[in-house]
Amino acid sequence: MSVTVLDPPAGRQGPGPIPQQLIDALDLAVSRLVARTLPGDRRAAGVGLGTELAQLRPYEIGDDVRHIEPSATARTGQPHVRLHVPERALTTWIVLDVSPSMAFGTARRLKADVAEGVALVFGRLGVRRAGSLGLVTFGAPTARVLAPRGSKPGIVALRRALAEGVARDGCRQPEALAHAVARTARLARQPGLVVAISDFRDQRTWERPLGSLRMRHSVVAVEISDPREAQLPAAGHLALVDPETGARIEVDTSRPRVRRRFAELERERRAQVARELRRLRVDHVALSTADDWLPALGRHLR
Amino acid sequence: MSFVSPVWLVALAVIPCMLAARLAARRRARRYAIRFTAVPTLRLAAQGRPSIWRRLPGALVLAALTAVVLALARPQLSDRVAVGEASMMLVTDHSGSMAAAERSADTFIHELPSTVRVGAIAFSSTPDAVQAPVSNHAAAQEVIDGQTAGGATATGDALQLALQLLDGGDAKHPPSAIVLLSDGAANAGVDVITVARQARQDRIPIETVALGTPGGVLANPDPLGAPLAVPPDPQLMAQIAQASGGRAFDAQTADQLSSIYERLGKRLGTVARRHDVTAAFAIVGVVLLALAAAGATRWSGRLP
Repeated sequence: MSVTVLDPPAGRQGPGPIPQQLIDALDLAVSRLVARTLPGDRRAAGVGLGTELAQLRPYEIGDDVRHIEPSATARTGQPHVRLHVPERALTTWIVLDVSPSMAFGTARRLKADVAEGVALVFGRLGVRRAGSLGLVTFGAPTARVLAPRGSKPGIVALRRALAEGVARDGCRQPEALAHAVARTARLARQPGLVVAISDFRDQRTWERPLGSLRMRHSVVAVEISDPREAQLPAAGHLALVDPETGARIEVDTSRPRVRRRFAELERERRAQVARELRRLRVDHVALSTADDWLPALGRHLR
Repeated sequence: MSFVSPVWLVALAVIPCMLAARLAARRRARRYAIRFTAVPTLRLAAQGRPSIWRRLPGALVLAALTAVVLALARPQLSDRVAVGEASMMLVTDHSGSMAAAERSADTFIHELPSTVRVGAIAFSSTPDAVQAPVSNHAAAQEVIDGQTAGGATATGDALQLALQLLDGGDAKHPPSAIVLLSDGAANAGVDVITVARQARQDRIPIETVALGTPGGVLANPDPLGAPLAVPPDPQLMAQIAQASGGRAFDAQTADQLSSIYERLGKRLGTVARRHDVTAAFAIVGVVLLALAAAGATRWSGRLP
């Protein structure tokens, strides 16, 4: 069971208040974001219920008589029916990182807290207008999948999953993001919105699955980082341990050369991630634990 | 090097204990290590740092500790200082060919400190040229230079005379030694070994130098006779040295003889003296400790 390996991280702050007005304001932005998958932009396969005309064709036995088009029938003298472009409710998939590295934060809150907030915002946006919400977590020994559910049940399930916290230290899965994205691509049959929330740290081979996911879906990549991961303070001699690998290192952070090189390498790494996301034409939202994440997210989406 | 209170050396066991404690501390440090997500990057950034600089302060502390423990044990160094009251008898056999021996004896006397009183006895059948130990080294040199080769070898008599001249039958006498130079077997006079034992009782070592080659010959005084073989008797010389507490040397050429005399002159004219080097060890310990502290502050940002 995934419950046994997940823990609410120590020093958990929670995402903070998420005002309804902000959600309302973001709604528009998100619907614009996923407009490509709504009728008119990208058509779903086949025909179905909707408001937009797809085609007119002669009536066949079995067609709904309510869809008989009067004008066309009168002009041709043959019954015609009106078929519509299917309008399907939006399905939002949240791909959430629960690896041990998310339980880290040195500024206002943990990375896991920010991730929780972002998941809640997109969850609440996703269940609007009869949308449904699915969840795929990764980074823990057992991945968790919540089938898409609409409205309140979807939000409740998301909240419950978020409350479980993140994986305990010592769990290293460098290809978890790639697997989770591939799994989402298999699960999400209809075009929708996929929000990948991760620190994109120590993950590899995720580019190709994310690219193929992007072919069908609108994808938002939310990268969460901590200021200490970008720049080390001069704190003297430090003994540090990696929460995922357990690797231990002793380093003298008062040496400017080490700090400079660390900052350089980190900048390079993040630039690499940004470059890769841009290449895949994935919306890239970079959030920091030091800022107020909600306005930052809103600014980006608008 | 020797130690006045070697029991303190037991404290050297503290060094492996410290190493073990340090290892344990490193293991314990795992528990208070800070979680940090960018460790792989940091490892890359901190690469290329020579680990020797990190270990150096610790090594210096251990070295300082060793020096301090050694200082506690009060180490002493021994060296040789010239003896003031020493006397020396040079007993030279002139029964054989002594041309080489003369020059070598000069070297020997020259090597002796001027404070050492030197006497000389030249002997063949009887001790025929005698100089009691005096401070004037030239007197002994004259005896050596004035001898001529020839006659039998009465080593025992000569040694007995030398003993008498050195201690005068008194058990309390200044440090003395006899240097016996001979090239042949003792074939006349009193028993040599008896005299050597007597010398040991009197605490006068007889340093013996066997001169000559096994195939050495001497012109026969009889013009028609065959040359006389004069092989050295190193066994007897060694016995004399052993019985009297001295050492035996073997010289086959004049150069060897000179070098032996030089060594003897240095050794007999001096005496071993010990002096304390505790202060030096303590200073080295303090300096090393200071270096370790400076290095650790510089490289680790903390005291070792």
